[in-house]
Amino acid sequence: MQALKLVLMRMRDNVLSTFMICLVVGVAMSLPGLFYVGVDNLSKLSNHMQDETEISLYLKLDVSQETISTLDVALAKNIEIKQHHFVSKDEAWLRFQEKSATNNEINKVILQINKNPLPDAYFIQAKSSNPEALESLKNSLQKLPGVEQALLNSEWAKRLSILLGLGEKIIFFIAALLAFTLLIIIGNTVRMQILTQKDEIEVSNLMGATSSFIRTPFLYAGILYGLMGGLLAIAIMSGIMQTFNYSIAQVSSLYNSDFSIPLFNPKLFTVIIGAATTIGWLGSYIAVNRSIQSFKIN
Amino acid sequence: MIQFDQVTKRYPGSDEALKNVSFSIEAGEWVFITGHSGAGKSTLLKLTAAIERPTSGTVLIANQNISKLKASAIPFMRRRFGVVFQDHKLLYDRNCFENVILPLRINGVSGTEAAKRVRAALDKVGLLHKEKAMPITLSGGEQQRLAIARAVVSRPSILIADEPTGNLDASYAADIMGIFQAFNQVGVTVIMATHDALGLSASQNRVLHLSHGQLSKTESTL
Repeated sequence: MQALKLVLMRMRDNVLSTFMICLVVGVAMSLPGLFYVGVDNLSKLSNHMQDETEISLYLKLDVSQETISTLDVALAKNIEIKQHHFVSKDEAWLRFQEKSATNNEINKVILQINKNPLPDAYFIQAKSSNPEALESLKNSLQKLPGVEQALLNSEWAKRLSILLGLGEKIIFFIAALLAFTLLIIIGNTVRMQILTQKDEIEVSNLMGATSSFIRTPFLYAGILYGLMGGLLAIAIMSGIMQTFNYSIAQVSSLYNSDFSIPLFNPKLFTVIIGAATTIGWLGSYIAVNRSIQSFKIN
Repeated sequence: MIQFDQVTKRYPGSDEALKNVSFSIEAGEWVFITGHSGAGKSTLLKLTAAIERPTSGTVLIANQNISKLKASAIPFMRRRFGVVFQDHKLLYDRNCFENVILPLRINGVSGTEAAKRVRAALDKVGLLHKEKAMPITLSGGEQQRLAIARAVVSRPSILIADEPTGNLDASYAADIMGIFQAFNQVGVTVIMATHDALGLSASQNRVLHLSHGQLSKTESTL
């Protein structure tokens, strides 16, 4: 307690430099934090869109009406399927002709064929949007009787998910590098403090101060730098997210959506404060251990 | 209380600062360490106060061998001593009160009890009215007395002083000696290194004379 009071007093005497250190920690912590918020919300958005991923089930050309009805029952029973609907070959042919009515080349081909080449088909929406789950569902549907081919329309979803995975990796490395930098900055700051208080440390040591008496104030200083820096990081992030939310609200209103970035993210905030405090402690611990060595009895 | 047995101290890259020194000091004694400059007085005091360890031989303080003491036990051994350093080692970034309270903080004394004891110590050396002054504004003699206040505030049973009257004029020096005498009279062991004659002629105490790191004579004038 006494040590904490001492540290707070020293910080009060050097408000500006204390604030600078905390600001460095805050900015360094808010960068990966903001990246994370971005990627996290993008992946939420992409999950939302992947809900609309379809599996197309093309049936064999010579499929009978009974096979279609058993297939219908099977699809309705499958718990992984959210929704399915049937498009008959005639309906598909009609739609195709409508769509390509303006295209002469295709019209010519259609006239030449003069017979419906399209199969009956089911269009299925799965409950899960996980690419692997979709893949395995597609494979199981492929095996159903009467099915010619099951097609998964999720290549783009896979790509996006890979890209988001890449983003997560980048965040991880940025965070690791910044953590390392912070470790050095805080360590160096504490080392400088130890140097400026060299006389006091030396005298205390001669008067019988235990090493924990000498170390504790510096460790507290490091922890406090981390803690206050973490709080600043949260303030910075909240401010930036708030300004983003204005634009996002405008964009989402165009799409009839109420999507916005949640300002309060307790999990992320806890992680940021925890990480900043740990870095502060570790940085000062290393600095103290290295510097106090020179005051040992010989 | 303090026992040196065949103690030798050698610093890296130099000759022996102390050679085969043996003596013992009882509780409540007043002992002068004399000798020319560089004779090893300061080294002897540092060994006595557990600030350094002997190269060979044994230093016993309260029956504990300093060489065999664990590093974590050394601080507690040092708290038995109040040391007045040759160069004072005052902290010039804080006022007199803050300087004197430091040993109490180290001993875990705080609050009004600490403030009371700081003022008592300052009072004993006649600096009570200067508690808010910065040490740099004090005269040489006052700085010396401040260092004494800091040495006695945690009520150690042994006071060690390294040339406390070294560069003071005669009346100041007599002043300082008087303060130490007052402590000795209430049972505090005093070990003082000095090279000035004033302290010696005025008192009838034991003298350990060092010459080139060796104890040349142990005399008791009692």
